[in-house]
Amino acid sequence: MTRADRYLAAGILLIAILSVALFYYRSSLSSGKAASVGAVISAQGKIVRKIDLSPGGGKTTFLVSGRLGPATVEVEGKRVRMVDAPCPERICIKQGWIENPGESIVCVPGETVIHVEGAAPVDAVTR
Amino acid sequence: MFNTRRLVFLSVLIAMGTVLHVVEGMVPVPLPIPGVKLGLANMVTLIALHSYGARDGVTVAVARVLLGSLIGGVFLSPGFLLSLTGAVSSTLIMALLLKYSDCFSVIGISMAGAVGHNMGQLLAAFLLLQNKSIFFYLPVLLMAGIPTGLFTGYILKSLLERVERLGILRIYEDDAASRNLGPMGLMKEKNLL
Amino acid sequence: MRKQRALFALVCLLLGAVSAGLLLGQRTREYKSDQFLMDTLVSIRVYGKDADKLREAVAAAYAEMHRIADLADGFPQPGTTAYRISDVCRINEQAGLKPVSADKDVIAMLTLAKKYHSLSEGAFDVTIGPVMDLWGFGRNDPQVPPPGRLGEALALVGSKDLVVNEREQTVFLRKAGMKLDLGAVAKGYATEKAIQALKRHGIEKALIDAGGNIRVLGKSRRDIPWRIGIKDPRKADALTAVLALEDSAAVTSGDYYRYFEAGGKRWHHILDPRTGYPAAENMSVTAVTADAGLADVLSTVFFVLKPEKALELAEKLEGVDLFLVADDGRILHTPGLRGRVEVKAGEGYRHDQGR
Repeated sequence: MTRADRYLAAGILLIAILSVALFYYRSSLSSGKAASVGAVISAQGKIVRKIDLSPGGGKTTFLVSGRLGPATVEVEGKRVRMVDAPCPERICIKQGWIENPGESIVCVPGETVIHVEGAAPVDAVTR
Repeated sequence: MFNTRRLVFLSVLIAMGTVLHVVEGMVPVPLPIPGVKLGLANMVTLIALHSYGARDGVTVAVARVLLGSLIGGVFLSPGFLLSLTGAVSSTLIMALLLKYSDCFSVIGISMAGAVGHNMGQLLAAFLLLQNKSIFFYLPVLLMAGIPTGLFTGYILKSLLERVERLGILRIYEDDAASRNLGPMGLMKEKNLL
Repeated sequence: MRKQRALFALVCLLLGAVSAGLLLGQRTREYKSDQFLMDTLVSIRVYGKDADKLREAVAAAYAEMHRIADLADGFPQPGTTAYRISDVCRINEQAGLKPVSADKDVIAMLTLAKKYHSLSEGAFDVTIGPVMDLWGFGRNDPQVPPPGRLGEALALVGSKDLVVNEREQTVFLRKAGMKLDLGAVAKGYATEKAIQALKRHGIEKALIDAGGNIRVLGKSRRDIPWRIGIKDPRKADALTAVLALEDSAAVTSGDYYRYFEAGGKRWHHILDPRTGYPAAENMSVTAVTADAGLADVLSTVFFVLKPEKALELAEKLEGVDLFLVADDGRILHTPGLRGRVEVKAGEGYRHDQGR
């Protein structure tokens, strides 16, 4: 084993440690301030609007035309919810705010879906 | 140009590499990480490399992966593709080091080969899975290359010394003869042993 | 020598091209599609190499679900085509009159339902239709029915008067006014049928989410078990647990999803067929088993039963596991889920490790 061999081993080790540090740094960075995510709103099978969900954003409301008529969606910072909809059971409104990637609000009678995009921690949720 | 000695020697190396490749697949690694293995077959590649150069090294590496996967029944499977990329990238790295540096011994070179093998596999796995999260294996695979490379390097070193004593491995004939050195002397001169 | 070198370079190039092509060819693609179906949003995700095959398989899966949905639809108006296609409507129409020949899938669903009616000692009943109608779930004006009328409707509930003749492929409701409601079977059964259709099309990795009824095929894209969250019954954006599933279904019944408020109380839609009122033993139960149809039935069965009874039954059934959040906040699960469930219980829940 020559001296160069030792340097090589040390170099590889160093790169390995540096990459661990880099991963750690990046993961702490991304968990510290959540990356801004977006939500996609679709009605009757078509995407009707894409919205940005960033923590600093203000409060806005807008209408989405579902199968039964217009539904009101409210966005406040990084959360979004359905505030009014012409469906009978109003399940979508009772669902309240959503903000995490993978979550969605579904209004079956209105055929309206609000889905928060991004890498979800689970593949699906049973409810 | 047909050199019978070279032909026979490479054939033997390919045969040995194939056997090691297959046997290695049967040895469980005490680490729960896919892709980490001892790299015994890499030793054969290294012998071919510094006996006959980059081209024959790659030939031996590719041939043993092809044959080994045919025997193992995994030809053209994702696992085969990973083995192939790993073998080729490790061979290329070892060839570069052999050609352009004379400060590394076989141990260092086989270490570099092991790391190169793991990096090549990681890259291929990324292309295959299209999932960035597998790069979390990077540090583990880097570090795993050190002990496995050391291990195969040491085996190779003692193997070369013994084989040389028996007078079988006269591979540097022309070069060594022209400079009045035995192959052992040549290897020593190049710091390989 | 030069010729040889050129040949060598050519071989190398060829090999490189072949392996690059193979690498790209081996790439797993995802195909995803959503459809409103069976009163919910059904989302199918499949993984495979050939995009066209994936699309075909998903189309076949939806076709299968539509077929079951049409057979089991209990709500179309009389006189419409939907009404005529629906076996369930025709069976209900002929209640007390005569047996009606039915599709083999309807027979299979009713046989399954009858089996678990007796296994649960009446805690599950597909003839709950008259009571469901009285409560009006799914309509504009759900209401708490007056006790007198509830009693009348309950008298029409009873799977012993549901006659399923497997040999003749007929179904008969003995008493006039009886009514089938396949709400607790059809979605799961259709999901299972869709998975079978995917399998027939050579799909090995898929996830079907039928409004929270989950059925997974194979392992996930990353070749690890699928991670399926169980919704926290009281906190909309939280999970109670995460399951690691392969080739199985997870169906949850909860008191928090479909409900209305009246008289300062919440009334949810899973009724105890023995009382006619919403079951109150559990906040949420999740049945885990290979077959989505069975999981759907069992989630309702377990929800209606007392937690201890439900666990006892789950352990008795082979290949069935159960995760439940009892009404008092206790989190319980069958031993079979150990190592496959990661409990994330928040405040207000108690997770007994011993169980």
